[in-house]
Amino acid sequence: MTETATEARPRKLVPISQSISVLPTDTARIYNYIHPVLILSLYYLCFPSLVADPVSTLKKSIAPLAHLQIIYCVVCLPPSKGSSTQPTPSTTPKKKKVQFARPAAKVPATLASRIVPALFSFLLSLSLSAPLLTVVLILFGAPLTTHFWHNLLCATHISLLGVLPLFYVHGVDGRMWREISGACLPFDEVWGGVVGSVVGAWLGAIPIPLDWDREWQKWPVTIVTGTYLGWFVFRFAGEYLLKGKRIEFD
Amino acid sequence: MEQSIRSNAESLAFKDVTVHYNNAKGWAAQDTEMRDTNRMKEIQFKASHTLLLLFFLWIFLLHAIGIYFFTKGFLLTRLVLDHKSQCDSPPIELQQSSPSLFADGCWHPKTFDKAVIIIIDALRYDFTVPFSGETHHYHNALKVLDETARQTPEKAFLLPFIADPPTTTLQRLKGLTTGTLPTFIDAGSNFAGTAIEEDNLVAQLRGAGKTMVHLGDDTWHSLFPGYFDADLTHAYDSFNVWDLHTVDNGVTEHLLPLLNPRNSSKWDIIFGHYLGVDHAGHRYGPDHLATNAKLREMDTVLRKVIVLLDEKTLLVVMGDHGMDVKGDHGGESDDEIEAALWMYSKRGVFGRGHNGFMVPPATAKERPVGQIDLVPTLSLLLGMPIPFNNLGAPIAEAFTGPGKPDWQNLASVNALAAAQISNYQREYSQARGLTEEIFLYPQAFWKDGLLIWREALKSGRHNDRFKPAFESFSKYQQETLKICRSLWARFDIPSMLEGIAILMCAVVILGTYARSSRPMTLELIPIYLAQMTMFGVLSAVFCSALTLLVFGTGIVNAALLGLAAGGISGFTYASVNLPQIFTLPFPRSLWGWLAVVLTLSQSVGYASNSYTIWEDEIMLCFLSTFALIAFASSMRQEFFIERILGIFQAGIFLVLTRLASLSRLCREEQMPFCKSTYYASSTSSTSAPWQLLIPLVSATLLPAVIKIYYQTTRSYQRSATIWIGFAARLGLLGSAIYWVLDAADDNDWLVVDKSILRTVKIVIARLILGVSLVVGTTMFLWSNPCISIQVTPEVNGSADGEVAPKPKSVKVFGYANVHGTRYFLLVVSWLLILTLLQKPMGSGAIGILTIQILALLEIIDTNNLSQSAIGPVVLGLLGSFHFFKTGHQATLSSIQWESAFVALKTIRYPWSPLLVVLNTFGAQILTTVAVPLIALWKQPPKKSRLLGDVAKALATLLLYYAIINLATTMWAGWLRRHLMLYRIFSPRFMTGAAVLLIVDLIGISVGIGSLRWNFTSIAEVFGWN
Repeated sequence: MTETATEARPRKLVPISQSISVLPTDTARIYNYIHPVLILSLYYLCFPSLVADPVSTLKKSIAPLAHLQIIYCVVCLPPSKGSSTQPTPSTTPKKKKVQFARPAAKVPATLASRIVPALFSFLLSLSLSAPLLTVVLILFGAPLTTHFWHNLLCATHISLLGVLPLFYVHGVDGRMWREISGACLPFDEVWGGVVGSVVGAWLGAIPIPLDWDREWQKWPVTIVTGTYLGWFVFRFAGEYLLKGKRIEFD
Repeated sequence: MEQSIRSNAESLAFKDVTVHYNNAKGWAAQDTEMRDTNRMKEIQFKASHTLLLLFFLWIFLLHAIGIYFFTKGFLLTRLVLDHKSQCDSPPIELQQSSPSLFADGCWHPKTFDKAVIIIIDALRYDFTVPFSGETHHYHNALKVLDETARQTPEKAFLLPFIADPPTTTLQRLKGLTTGTLPTFIDAGSNFAGTAIEEDNLVAQLRGAGKTMVHLGDDTWHSLFPGYFDADLTHAYDSFNVWDLHTVDNGVTEHLLPLLNPRNSSKWDIIFGHYLGVDHAGHRYGPDHLATNAKLREMDTVLRKVIVLLDEKTLLVVMGDHGMDVKGDHGGESDDEIEAALWMYSKRGVFGRGHNGFMVPPATAKERPVGQIDLVPTLSLLLGMPIPFNNLGAPIAEAFTGPGKPDWQNLASVNALAAAQISNYQREYSQARGLTEEIFLYPQAFWKDGLLIWREALKSGRHNDRFKPAFESFSKYQQETLKICRSLWARFDIPSMLEGIAILMCAVVILGTYARSSRPMTLELIPIYLAQMTMFGVLSAVFCSALTLLVFGTGIVNAALLGLAAGGISGFTYASVNLPQIFTLPFPRSLWGWLAVVLTLSQSVGYASNSYTIWEDEIMLCFLSTFALIAFASSMRQEFFIERILGIFQAGIFLVLTRLASLSRLCREEQMPFCKSTYYASSTSSTSAPWQLLIPLVSATLLPAVIKIYYQTTRSYQRSATIWIGFAARLGLLGSAIYWVLDAADDNDWLVVDKSILRTVKIVIARLILGVSLVVGTTMFLWSNPCISIQVTPEVNGSADGEVAPKPKSVKVFGYANVHGTRYFLLVVSWLLILTLLQKPMGSGAIGILTIQILALLEIIDTNNLSQSAIGPVVLGLLGSFHFFKTGHQATLSSIQWESAFVALKTIRYPWSPLLVVLNTFGAQILTTVAVPLIALWKQPPKKSRLLGDVAKALATLLLYYAIINLATTMWAGWLRRHLMLYRIFSPRFMTGAAVLLIVDLIGISVGIGSLRWNFTSIAEVFGWN
């Protein structure tokens, strides 16, 4: 069987990302718990008006959500160091021990060095991942010709909730984003939040077809609800239950 | 980037087999030995291939037996009583002192001697009443019915006429002539009507020596063979829905002369059945000029008939069912069951006194009468006995008389009908061994009514005293009907459970075989097969013998049950004795879990009407999920080429899924959240002109895209160039031309004789079918693998030693995908057949499906998933998804019957049903034909156990469909009392069962069957492994 012997099966990427932890300050540890509760309360308060008028509610709630998320990043999460300080992974793919996300050893010195990347993350998640997620929503069956704002705003919420901290923690490094799009990050609160919002949004589609004739079944209320609940559950699961584990395909 | 892809493709493209070749030269001595080994291996392969076929036949058998037993218990049956009503023995004496036989009528004095009964197929009630507001083409076109009923209420009345589902013409005619409820099992026999055995109006009329003439729809002749006067009767083919005029012109042409007073002695009853309105609905939809024209034509014809009518003759015009927004019917939606009934007589005997409504109801929701009410009404009006099985009541408007209501007459006719029903109910209870209590509640009304009626008779004919009697009799009829409906909704639970148990065991067998006997898929087959056959035959013989001894009947059922039980025990016995091979069939990877979760969640969804209704959208979401995960998985590839290839294919798959999803045919329940795009508009069943471009685009792009997939491994060689580059192009172009001609025929674009156009169309269709089937199969059987062998000749070293001697070198192009590319030629043949049979939008969906299959194969290959369950399951999902995208829904009315006429002018067995099947289940068939590719794509020619891998892939696909079928079966059985059983669950069960059996057959005959030639042809070049 010489033929099979020569068949070299494609090799898999060996992930080098590591899970992150919240900054080692008391404020960070405490706010890490307060934040999800705040987010969920915000969602709870918005829910009635979300059902009544999804577009304007989603639009109005972007500002508070973004503020909360930026504060969360600044207070609790270690910012990305930026690619300049890291060895470029594409040139040395074989070195598996290079670490990107650091264990939360040091609190960055200045506040500005945390606020600026947080603002950048906000802009990136708004301009980059929100349109991309809109396309994904449409590919999954969201209305193509109508409900444009519904789709875009729904994607924006998913993006702010899940992707914003991801930008903040992992920066815009190419190798890192390859691992992110390959879904091979280890679980932590940030990655858990991402997985949770996606899974939640997916599960959120389940009640839509039911013939219960409820107002809240309308697009995209259930998707947004699923996103928030999924994010909430999985960010804790990522922080404790699944910490450090990776999603394995094979 | 392009450079690196190319270099990679280059490395895949050929294989240098020089070393083997040069080694082989030294083996000349062993040549014969090698040939012997090869010969032995070939025999071995053919033997195991045959056994594999037999094993899958067993699976098919189990599925068929399981579905048979469930269907037997599930589809409702009504015991048909053979009793006939007799003219001389009325169920009740109308007068105290009996001359029981009236001089002019059997049970009741007749009103008319003769009748002209005209059925306008699919005459919906709202076609007949005036409509103000936003009108559609079908509004205000047929005015004569409403006009006469409004202006001369004593001469005519118009009422909504509610059909009992299923609303297919055959079932409706049975209901309209027997006066009883049709049962669902008949719905499937629309293609071949069978004679009515039970008592009916036509038989009664014939018994009374009436001369009956029939004109129009030939379904009547299969129901009443030999009943009609042979000289005057003219029947026309009923299924050619493309033809709007032949039947109608024929009916009118023969009807009008018969009404002439000169001919009036030649006949007693005329049945005229117009089909134009129905065909216009099927072909164009109700909201179309053609329907409008047809209704106007009916209006004109009816006015002529009215003029010619004499005083002794009753004229009845009715629809046998309605039509839905697209003009189709078969189900039980409001639009489908709301037909119209109009009766007319010049004598002026009709009235409205009993309720006082002088004008026809504005909508079908007001004052409707049932279609079963026609039989007692006509029987009594014509002086006939009411047929024995009738459950309807006389229509009051026909008996109440003009002016003040004649309560006595109403009470009399209702007493007759009620007495007849009472007789029937007694006989039926006796025959089925039902207790009297079931009918206790309505019986009270019967007794009350009788009492009041007798009192009224005694008290000297005081008219108003009969009113309560009339009401009691009506109430009795209504309540009995209600009970009968529920009685005939009685299921044979044990039989259903047997069916479900067999299907469940078949799922377990398939699951065990497909998912846990790896890698021994092939080696275990003889063991399974031997045990299953031995146990099966023994148990079948035993069971049938036992039944014969104990009961004496039902041997066939017992034998089938025994066979299935034996086969299942045989498999269990065999697998229990081979414990070391098995691992539990639980998924071990994310992919495996994905396959399980998608299949199971789809199955669970069938428990809910909502998820069944929205299945098409759910399939879209599932397929996108797979593509997204494939995208992430491809991202994990270390090497750039594989990564880009995987991402690219996943992206193509994702985008194409969404693109295909734009083709929608909404079912009624999806409204108003769904917009049909399959046809020109949601109320039409023809394609828009721009849609005709889709097949053209498909013909241009599809062969080129397939070529690209071949070229990545340099496999675009030999047969592939001819079959894909030439035949496929031509075939797809032919389909495109066919549909353009069809549209030209529809819309009168060309000033050519229609018959020429039609002949050209049919010739093109037959050419495509013939070439793809006959030439395609021949080519597949004899073709060489798609490889090209390049030999560089030996270069001898020159004498002075300047050039080093170079041995002969042999390169094989297309080596990397020998199995896959050769087998795919067969998929292309099927693609041509299926594309032709789809409407333009559907051919686009089938084209997209083909590319999606190729993209899936590449995803499977780059992610190394050929052993995983996800490949076949995604193929199954693709099949389910594109079933909807080719303009189908799990409803009877969405069957595109007209596809039977793509290649035929008239109905011909078995070809017509076959064409409809290929049209309906085209997507599932194509994916099943493609399933071996999951195992074959890009596998080296001499890989061991390849046949076993194919068997495993096919078994997994069958497992998917078997689970879906089991789920729909179980839910339909469980929800058998659900309000939406006939609208949703029952059609979904039938779809699932049909799909499973068809997929089984195609999988066995094409999927496994054709491998024999694929493997042999490749082994001829590369030798057996």
